[in-house]
Amino acid sequence: MSADKITKKFLNSHKSISSAWLQVSIGLGLFSGFLLIAQAWFLANTMNAVVFEKQTLSGVQNWLWGVFAVFIVRAVLAWASEQAAFHASAKIKQQLRNRLHRHLQAMGPVNLGNESSGERVNTLVDGIEALENYYARYLPAMSLVVLVPLSILVFVFPLDWVSGLVMLGTAPLIPFFMILIGKGTESLNKKQWRKLARMSAHFLDMIQGLTTLKIFNTSKHEAEVIARISDDYRKSTMSVLRVAFLSSLVLEFLATVSIAMVAVLIGFRLYYGEMDFLLGFFVLLLAPEFYLPLRNMGTHYHARMEAVGAAEQMIDILEKPVAENFTTNAESNNKQNTIQNILQDSERKLSISFKKVSFEYEEGRQALKDFTMEVPAGKTLALVGASGAGKSTVANLLLGFVKSTQGSIEANGIKLDGISLEQWREQIAWLPQTPYLFSGTLAENIALGAELASEEEIIKAAQQANIDDFIVSLPNTYETLIGEKGVGLSGGQIQRIALARAFLKDAPLLILDEPTANLDTESELFIQQSINVLSKNRTVITIAHRLSTIEKADKIVVIDAGRVLESGTHQELIEHSAEYRKMLAAFSGTGVDVDQGGFL
Amino acid sequence: MSTDSQTAQKKAKQQAESDQSNVKVFWRLWKLFRPYWGWMFLGILLSLITILANVGLMALSGWFITSMAIAGVAGVSIDYFSPAAGIRGLSIARTASRYAERVVTHEATFRAIAELRHWFYLHLEPLAPAVLQNYHSGDLLSRIRADIDALENVYIRIIVPTSVALMMGIFFIFFLSRYDSSLAWVELIFLLLAGVMVPLLVNTLSKKPSKKKVSISTELRTSVIDSVQGMGELLIYGAAEKQAQKIDDLSKQLLEQQAKLTQLNGLSQAILNLCANLAMLGVVMLTIPLVTNLGISPSNLVMLALFTHASFEAVMALPLAFQTLPETLESARRIFSIVDAKPQVVEPIDDSPAPKNTEIKFHKVSFQYLNQQEKVSTIDASKNILNKLSFSLKSGNKLAIVGPSGVGKSSIINLLLRFWEPISGTIHFGNHELSQYKGDDIRQYFSVVSQLSYFFNSTIKRNLLLAKRNATDDEVEEVCRVAQIHEFIVSLPEGYDTWVGEAGFKLSGGQLKRLTIARALLKDAPVLILDEPGEGLDSQIEKAVLNAIFDYKKETSIILITHSQTGLDAMDEILRLG
Repeated sequence: MSADKITKKFLNSHKSISSAWLQVSIGLGLFSGFLLIAQAWFLANTMNAVVFEKQTLSGVQNWLWGVFAVFIVRAVLAWASEQAAFHASAKIKQQLRNRLHRHLQAMGPVNLGNESSGERVNTLVDGIEALENYYARYLPAMSLVVLVPLSILVFVFPLDWVSGLVMLGTAPLIPFFMILIGKGTESLNKKQWRKLARMSAHFLDMIQGLTTLKIFNTSKHEAEVIARISDDYRKSTMSVLRVAFLSSLVLEFLATVSIAMVAVLIGFRLYYGEMDFLLGFFVLLLAPEFYLPLRNMGTHYHARMEAVGAAEQMIDILEKPVAENFTTNAESNNKQNTIQNILQDSERKLSISFKKVSFEYEEGRQALKDFTMEVPAGKTLALVGASGAGKSTVANLLLGFVKSTQGSIEANGIKLDGISLEQWREQIAWLPQTPYLFSGTLAENIALGAELASEEEIIKAAQQANIDDFIVSLPNTYETLIGEKGVGLSGGQIQRIALARAFLKDAPLLILDEPTANLDTESELFIQQSINVLSKNRTVITIAHRLSTIEKADKIVVIDAGRVLESGTHQELIEHSAEYRKMLAAFSGTGVDVDQGGFL
Repeated sequence: MSTDSQTAQKKAKQQAESDQSNVKVFWRLWKLFRPYWGWMFLGILLSLITILANVGLMALSGWFITSMAIAGVAGVSIDYFSPAAGIRGLSIARTASRYAERVVTHEATFRAIAELRHWFYLHLEPLAPAVLQNYHSGDLLSRIRADIDALENVYIRIIVPTSVALMMGIFFIFFLSRYDSSLAWVELIFLLLAGVMVPLLVNTLSKKPSKKKVSISTELRTSVIDSVQGMGELLIYGAAEKQAQKIDDLSKQLLEQQAKLTQLNGLSQAILNLCANLAMLGVVMLTIPLVTNLGISPSNLVMLALFTHASFEAVMALPLAFQTLPETLESARRIFSIVDAKPQVVEPIDDSPAPKNTEIKFHKVSFQYLNQQEKVSTIDASKNILNKLSFSLKSGNKLAIVGPSGVGKSSIINLLLRFWEPISGTIHFGNHELSQYKGDDIRQYFSVVSQLSYFFNSTIKRNLLLAKRNATDDEVEEVCRVAQIHEFIVSLPEGYDTWVGEAGFKLSGGQLKRLTIARALLKDAPVLILDEPGEGLDSQIEKAVLNAIFDYKKETSIILITHSQTGLDAMDEILRLG
């Protein structure tokens, strides 16, 4: 199927969500069309009576009352039809935005990370809005464009077959020309949407990196880039609009010529007495109304093209694969595995094992190869190795952010295949390298995902994370609003807020990603104390940089190029591993007291 | 926990933004559009021609048909060539001028808008990072994207149609008054109703939903950014569902406001059409006696009826324009609030002095991060991050600043780069006070590795070239070797052209750190500031990188901010804080 057809199918598939509203809107529009014919008839009779039957005002008052009544009813119908159309589009917009957002969540952060969030934001916010005119205007208009002119023809033909013939002959020219023009603008419009998305992405990137631009004195250069991108966007907007305007020019011209043709033919037949005024004027009043829906098609067609452009970006998201389950390994998909099976008889403890697990982020970028390790329940395992060795990949696999290409991961001896990700993640607390803080209050950030947490529980978690003192020193304490990424808070404070989250969650498995890598000694000590408390009676997998962390670990796995190089306790490794001793030697060379903590 | 303080904070921000009256905002917008007045004038002219041609076409057609019928019945001959030619000419004029008008007004508007985005950026840039840290990037993105786009309404929907409606209205009334003053009155009343009353009414009624709509869209944008960038946490902490509901809820709230606005729009359009119809009806009722009693030509009855109906095209666009006006003004206000925000640091008016050397001197410098509202006189000295700090660094010397968290090590960088200013005390650079330098000028003397270094969604090479745009490949490779990252980069399939991914997502923390170091080394600056260069690095690499840096930048002054002991032995001086 071509990309165009997929987009059209996508847009059509959502019609059913609110077909009732759409039908109401179309029905009201059609009724209004019938009334229009009545209105023309009343008006023509009024004029005819005055001009040719020399009637006075009182003589035509019945006709005028009719006109007045039709005016009122049509005003109400126009209003109601618009409301119905809006409701049709509203339902679709809301459902689709929700679906797109949930799809992004199902993709997970690692798969999403390659994409620009500026583009995603553009699709979810502005892209969805662009669908409104498609469902609220284009679709009803497309039905009326056939129905209303057809109804008019039904009346006109028996009365005046000449005019009917002109109408019938010229009307199909309009959609024909429009399709011709539409073909060219469709690709222009898609390009335009991609440009808009890219412009959004660039602006978000620029805003988030503005300080860096200033540090390198390139912010003036960026000003030129912004000017260029904006101007580029203007040019492409105009190229789309110019075609759109040109298409309405053609439509309008065709319509005008056709109306003039009808008028001239009527005029001469009136002049030569072959037709009476009542009929002629009636048909003449209907002629512009006959072409009106066709003329409006140009405007609505533009709405359609905008929607097609936006839909392309949505399909792009929705086509990305997601999985509700832990693994995509179809053949080993064991449906009987449930989280209850795993947790049974384990007193909420988890042992983890990796069996010959392989993973690559993209073809040829092997991150793990036949990786095998065991983490006993309630014990702490430290992963060590050079950056890029595959430590983070182990964490990403356990978190369900990526799925292994080979091998299996087990918890309490049961394969995680087929386990619901949501239930599995309930068992994990996670402290990432750079925790994200959400716009909201400190309390909300600590209680992330724990809506039912009481004030006491939040404070207790903050105390355990050694951040309560700092929070209560702030003027608004726990209700302090924090900006994006916790701007205004130090790295250590952000880490401790993230730790408070972990305390509050109280999960059996704790995954720490370089927890103390970027902090000063004082914060490190605080955090280390908190982590020691948190690690009790839990299975902990930590991507370690500090010697004290490693020394305390029950087991150490040294990773190199995606494979296990060595594993054992600190003592065992010192005795048997030359590589491990080399790392320690480098560490001692810095002359730091081991217990004070330093980097390995 | 109460949310009083939270709403108070939000209120303060909103208050600052709604300070400006509508008239003032509109006047400022008008001034911004002024360079385009020539285009605007042309747009108005073309719009006038379009409407005149259309009204003329309808009136002439009505007159023509009726006259032909009357002549046919009476059996007299009339000149039908001139009216027919008139109809042809008016049709062509209407179609062509409408096309030209649309192209001209849109071209002018989009030119203005492209320029406004650039203008907005120029005002945004001085605010980073001190002022902008109070704004979510989704909020700022909304402003530079959607809010600026919304300004197109001012020109396309407000200025041109209003001017045209005013001029045409006067003309129509004058025209009808030549037949009978009562016709002019009917036209006047219904034009006022459709072109003034209804627009003003919807303008008032749409204020609240419009304002809400703008703020809900911003919140939606912010939440989607949170959602995308904080997805890991949302999923693991089981907050993904809540976030999805939040987005869905915002979506719903947005639709509620849009529904209100659609209702208003539907209502005003219905009333407008009704006005046009009723005005026509009124004119017909008033003209009939003129025809029957005073004997004016019956052709005029049809002509005047169609004329009146068509004349309402001049006000058709006004209700929607005035309905969107509050939204547009709200957007404008959000733009002006950024443009008017005072940068944390006041730039000197005179040119920056030429430093005699690169010596840095802090003399009794005290500092704390202040809110915009706080005045220097009300400062609580106990909250100072830096308290009467004094130190100096001679050209080419190496200084380490060591100390625990929160003692203001990073604040020293913020002061040196003129992102913030000290509360008291003086800082000298090259024997001139730092405050004599413009921010851009002082920053060229410093190269910084800091925790806030950002990587753009571009290639490795282009991110590195930020530091020196015309650097050769050899220079780039050299600094990458010093930062011990060259081997890794060339091991990637696409080498230096590898796409970094948003915020450096594809690379590990250690790799990004080394790229940050390489980028800082590439900049030819006499002072190099290393803020925790070892973070995220293995100790072996940290040591090797630091030694290589010291070796590579022998002549450069270096400030090393650290809590580890690595590299301290190479320093000329160590400053312990806290």
